Amino acid sequence: MLFSFDPRISRLELPESAPPPPDKAALDQFPTYEVFHQRKENTAYVYVGPVHAPEADVAFLFGKEQFSRRFPCTGMWVVPTEAIRVTEYGDDQQSVYDRLPLLPADALTTADAAGLEAYDIFHLKKRGKAHTHVGQVQAASPEAALQAAKAAFGDQRPVVNVWVIRSADLLRSDDDDRDMWTTTPDKKYREAIAYKVQDRIDRFKQER
Amino acid sequence: MNPTLDLLYRLADDQLILGHRNSEWNGLGPILEEDIAFSSMAQDKLGHSLQLYTLLHELGEAEPDTVAFTRNTPQFHCCQLTELPIGEYDFSLVRHFLFDHAELLRFEALADSSYEPLALVARKVKGELKYHVLHANTWVKRLGTATEEAIERMQAALEFTLPYALGIFETTDAESEIISSGLFVGEEQLQRRWEASISKVLAQTALTLPDLRLLTPVTGGRHGQHTEHLQPLLDEMAEVFRLDPTADW
Amino acid sequence: MYGSASTHDIPTQAATGLENEDPILLAEFEARIARGEKIEPTDWMPQLYRKQLTRMIEQHAHSEIIGSLPEGTWITRAPGFRRKMAQMAKVQDEVGHAQLLYSAAETLGKTREQMLSDLVNGKSKYSNVFNYPTPTWADSNVISWLIDAGAIVNQMANAKGSYGPYCRALDRICAEEAFHLKYGHDAVVHMATGTPIQRKMMQEALNRWWPAIMTFFGPSDKMSVHTEILMRWKVKMATNDACRQQFLDMYVPKIWEIGLTLPDPNLRKNEDGVWEFSEPDWEDFKRVINGDGPCNAERIAVRRAAEENGAWVRRAMQQPQARYVRPLA
Repeated sequence: MLFSFDPRISRLELPESAPPPPDKAALDQFPTYEVFHQRKENTAYVYVGPVHAPEADVAFLFGKEQFSRRFPCTGMWVVPTEAIRVTEYGDDQQSVYDRLPLLPADALTTADAAGLEAYDIFHLKKRGKAHTHVGQVQAASPEAALQAAKAAFGDQRPVVNVWVIRSADLLRSDDDDRDMWTTTPDKKYREAIAYKVQDRIDRFKQER
Repeated sequence: MNPTLDLLYRLADDQLILGHRNSEWNGLGPILEEDIAFSSMAQDKLGHSLQLYTLLHELGEAEPDTVAFTRNTPQFHCCQLTELPIGEYDFSLVRHFLFDHAELLRFEALADSSYEPLALVARKVKGELKYHVLHANTWVKRLGTATEEAIERMQAALEFTLPYALGIFETTDAESEIISSGLFVGEEQLQRRWEASISKVLAQTALTLPDLRLLTPVTGGRHGQHTEHLQPLLDEMAEVFRLDPTADW
Repeated sequence: MYGSASTHDIPTQAATGLENEDPILLAEFEARIARGEKIEPTDWMPQLYRKQLTRMIEQHAHSEIIGSLPEGTWITRAPGFRRKMAQMAKVQDEVGHAQLLYSAAETLGKTREQMLSDLVNGKSKYSNVFNYPTPTWADSNVISWLIDAGAIVNQMANAKGSYGPYCRALDRICAEEAFHLKYGHDAVVHMATGTPIQRKMMQEALNRWWPAIMTFFGPSDKMSVHTEILMRWKVKMATNDACRQQFLDMYVPKIWEIGLTLPDPNLRKNEDGVWEFSEPDWEDFKRVINGDGPCNAERIAVRRAAEENGAWVRRAMQQPQARYVRPLA
């Protein structure tokens, strides 16, 4: 049996040596979801990163502890990566809306109001930073939503990149669920600020 | 024992021992993200036990560290469910599901406890427990409707775990006073609510809940009688702490 | 937790392949980096950039997941509530960092499952220090403080690198490492200023770990064409020696002030402000990194067991219609 200083590992009773396992099946790979959080009431949702999960509800469970276990949080959204329509990336200081090819006017107006759906729009202001929610538009397609976003939010600059997400594809935490985060700020043992040791060092130096 | 102390020790010991057990998964879980989520819940349990031991300390008991790290098996009041080794993930998930449903309902009831400091703690941790139960339900629903392999595993784990889970509701001599003084609604009430609550979730899966009246609850934990797993757990937990009892770690 | 040289990962001889890249695109790419702008996943990038970054971020991710094990060794035995909860949070963070880093590497085109597969098959490297054991609680404290301190020196530098997803991950990681560093320092100070038993335990652990710590940043860089290009592209942000000097400057005084000694008679800061030390045993370093260290077999075996034991869960959760796409950012 494999020796370990870790009693948890000893309990696994692993063999001393074993042949290498076969490559993991591609099947083992879950889809990815992108996660956004809101740090304070009435502030914009901001992109925090992806999780691997089989479904949106599991992605929410995972996103909650991976991305909001430390800082105050009042809400979280998750969306399948696949469902995000991404523009090309522009240079810092520019707006990608400037490069948007104009759709023929009828492409925007063919759908009557009944065919319109809500889309959420996210902007990246600077390369290396995180996409931030800027608002919602009504449109008949992701392309049309991007045009509508240009009309609604195009004056904001710079816009390095835009994400367009059909609102129905976003799983959003309920307002009722906000209490899941109420004790996060109390978990001081996870914060650097809880560890103050200078007094002890000073005392030690004095006594030497 | 004084009914308040009796109740607090049972609650605190449950949370300490299960939190400790669940922390054994950290770094060894089946999916990276799940590893993180499961660890958070284990930390929450440790946090709950610390708050409860702190209430005990305010009532004149020893410091939380002393209480947690220096007692031996007969002085522990956790139910035996919490002390069982982590086994495979099916067992750990089913234990989490059965225990946390009881825990959420327990703390919901304790929010109205006549012992205000306890009611305060119960109200504070409600949101955390909500996440724990959401987590447990999501997993049980997913795995309980997934592959044949998963359903078989979960069913077997459920059948193995249920008698121990019934041990959560074992009462002590203080029970009638606990109820009459308004400290807590009592284990019988809790068990009824718990049965309704787990049945509702299990009904949405391919898993079958056996007739609970036909099962023999595994009891003894509330009276200091434990499985052979608890003392080694306590020895391990206190290995460093006991190296030098005078030390501040 | 990662040093810049988990392995000698910059080729010194092989061709750079730059002659095969489109010169106009290459010039735009280099101009963007020179302007201080980040590269994002869908931007054009040279093959060498993609390859080196993938390797580097992947190794960093492996170092986090493997790095959770030596401290995980003490997760069930941490003394007292304060330490117990913090040790859990710290090990959890290491797993969380792995998740963040695998995600960043995925944006370059390699799937997480492939990376995990390569790890358990021994095809990838991770930080060599984790091939050493933590026989006592004090060893775990030494890692919490000093290995994390070394990692922060490295990660702070890399956070100024050129690849957007890696920077985003590192910003989050560095914020969390601030807790690790303080927690580790706090634990070491309690031991070093504590009872004779604690003091002895800590000094012995430090003596055991110091040689490994001195190798953490890797041997002096051999300046090659590759190194020069990767520094220009802001993939490699600081030389190994610069990182090591910065680490020594920041932490040796903190170690000495709590009455601990370091097992290197030649360790001193000279008049020019440069730290002098005995050259670490790089032959031993090579031997260990190539598989012959005290814990190599255990680390890989544990990851394999975790993968195998979790396989049924992942199989069950898999949706037949699910399709993997790499994360966006």
